[in-house]
Amino acid sequence: MQLIINGEATELEAGTISDVIRHFGLEERPVVVEADGEIVSKEQWPAIEVRPLMKIELVHFVGGG
Amino acid sequence: MKKDVWHIGGHELTSRFFIGTGLFPSPYVQKEAIRESGAEVLTFAIRRINLASTEDDSILQHVEGEAFRFLPNTSGASTAEEAVRIARLARASGLSDWIKVEISANERTLLPDPMETLKATEILVKEGFTVLPYTSDDPILCKRLEEAGAAAVMPGAAPIGTGLGILNPYNIGLIVEEAKVPIIVDAGLGSVTDVAQAMELGVSGVLMNTPVAKAKDPVSMARAMRLAIEAGRLSYLSGRISKKRYASASSGHEQFIVK
Repeated sequence: MQLIINGEATELEAGTISDVIRHFGLEERPVVVEADGEIVSKEQWPAIEVRPLMKIELVHFVGGG
Repeated sequence: MKKDVWHIGGHELTSRFFIGTGLFPSPYVQKEAIRESGAEVLTFAIRRINLASTEDDSILQHVEGEAFRFLPNTSGASTAEEAVRIARLARASGLSDWIKVEISANERTLLPDPMETLKATEILVKEGFTVLPYTSDDPILCKRLEEAGAAAVMPGAAPIGTGLGILNPYNIGLIVEEAKVPIIVDAGLGSVTDVAQAMELGVSGVLMNTPVAKAKDPVSMARAMRLAIEAGRLSYLSGRISKKRYASASSGHEQFIVK
């Protein structure tokens, strides 16, 4: 299905947020997820189902002042 | 002498140096510079993960295991709404409920938008964040931010990354005089001169990134800045002499040999 991940239309087979995380190999990384404007905590990843054109943001801390 | 500590949101701090984590030439240099700075608070930004790269560019991998307090910023936001969204994402990391509100409405100057900064501060305080707004050096605005519940207020010395130093020391001094929360000079400092001046004006701390990270030797500059903070702070506490127009001899005129 098509998802909008970090602003990019992305074709991806995924059932839940966990599948998306796994697809990008981010399981061990400090990542924060937002799906359609709502923050999804790590505990919720396996439970939140993705749907076509869902807007998913995968963010983390980078250097900054 | 009593230990010179200060507090933000009930958290005790010894160091008065908040250091940014951007622009360093390498993770190693950054780590060493942070160590030399003696900083207890590190700032970060929140960005999208680069999914095209397999490399882990997260900043956290370089500072893990060390006892720092994290101060994520809302850089990239140009409205209160965007800043609140970024703040919530930052808190969802589980690493910190401190947030530096940073809302720029002008790309060339990156100067903070005062209206949006106040609005975001009000919202985030209500949501239980420890809010440290980066703002312009306007004494009334700083007071308004304090009244809105900011845990500390962070007026800029000059636009971010310019190294121009304190453009309006009169205002910074006035802000300090009026404040009941810590005042931290954030942005625009360039050298130890500026840092010592800020501390002598009575601010509680300084936040710097560019003047350390982009120095020729960031590690020794971090140390220089730490010493400047200490020197400026001591000078402030010790009370400098007032300025006079004409000379006054150090040894008096009474027993001159040549008279």
